[in-house]
Amino acid sequence: MKYALYLGCTIPLRVPNYELATRRVMDKLGIELVDIEDAGCCGIYHEQINELTHLAMAGSIIAKAEDIGLDIMVMCNGCNESLIKANKRLKEDADLRRKVNEILSKIDLEFKGNINIKHYIRVLYEDYGVDKIRKKVVNSLDNLKIAAHYGCHIFKPTDIIQFEDFEDPESLDVLIEATGAKSIDYLDKKLCCGGYVLGYKKEVAYEISGYKLQNIKDAGADLIVTICPFCNIMYEANQRAIESQLNKQFKIPVLHYPQLLGIAMGFSYKDMAMELNRVRIDPKLFE
Amino acid sequence: MSIRDEVLSEIDGETIVFCQSCGICTGGCPSARFSKYNPRRIIHKTNLNMDPGDDIWLCATCYTCQERCPRGIKITDFMNLLRRIYIKEKGMPDFIDTLIENLKNAGYTTQLGEIENKRRERMNLPKINTADYIKRILELTEG
Repeated sequence: MKYALYLGCTIPLRVPNYELATRRVMDKLGIELVDIEDAGCCGIYHEQINELTHLAMAGSIIAKAEDIGLDIMVMCNGCNESLIKANKRLKEDADLRRKVNEILSKIDLEFKGNINIKHYIRVLYEDYGVDKIRKKVVNSLDNLKIAAHYGCHIFKPTDIIQFEDFEDPESLDVLIEATGAKSIDYLDKKLCCGGYVLGYKKEVAYEISGYKLQNIKDAGADLIVTICPFCNIMYEANQRAIESQLNKQFKIPVLHYPQLLGIAMGFSYKDMAMELNRVRIDPKLFE
Repeated sequence: MSIRDEVLSEIDGETIVFCQSCGICTGGCPSARFSKYNPRRIIHKTNLNMDPGDDIWLCATCYTCQERCPRGIKITDFMNLLRRIYIKEKGMPDFIDTLIENLKNAGYTTQLGEIENKRRERMNLPKINTADYIKRILELTEG
């Protein structure tokens, strides 16, 4: 198994612990990753600013991976939606493709339409296989109760992304339970983290995340697992600010899924760069 | 062109005439629960050719309304369309300026400076270079 790795913006620049853990875990699983060189933003924000800009930015990333000759693996739900949407539209609409290729030709790129895009959760769940992951677990995390947060653009819009039922998803729960931990249910589990509203009205975004943090705490979770850097930042980096706005205390650790899997596969706390997680994680949790 | 005509002429907006006012969109909306955001009202206002106002920026683009709408209205796509129309008519809202600035400077939504690459070096992660072609795309597409 071999993929072109697309990091996006937030992961390499704000949550490199996520990147490090993912690279190490994929390597140990035998999934080979080739970096897409000098790949900028996926263009997701331009869906609401200028459609042509979005398609050209997303198209440029896809074209770079086409030159490598590999399908793309993404680690961000936003990149997932942006690239899959652009890939579908550009493959299906010849006029649009011509228009975008006119722009891309000026930066020596061409969208051909011969690769696909997958979030690594989908790679693990659909292609690699949960049974094979279970066999890699050497440190079964039997005592942990985990709150999975899927986020939105891992499967929505469903007609574009075509993954699983967003009303009743299971991929992340199953992948969490492959580590031996229990993936628990909690109120409004599928609700968005509110991250997209952060720029316009921080208070509203914090209310949404804070509501979810409270539900997760009430359900007795030891920690939260995310699969998107932005959801992670909402629960992790912003947890203190949310606590101060809502005048509450949560202190719930938040892990990127590969960090959890890595610990179960025998990597150390340090190997998974967990000292960079802002909400303190007690290493004893994993003993 | 009036706001209603402009919306109805686009694939992302043409479905709003099917609204039956059930409010499922608003009932399941994360933003509506914690703010005055009300997608049903925004659909109504547009159908009545009224200015939908600034609340369009409260959509979290989670797509739950669009997935659940029993009339198949592309509600999230419609909100993105209203945002594009807003920008065309009133210009870029302030809170998006920094994002555009960052994209022009280095090709990423977040700042790329020495600190970020120093930290990556310490972690043995490959250096992130500026993606200057993004600036060129922004110029070519007037984004």
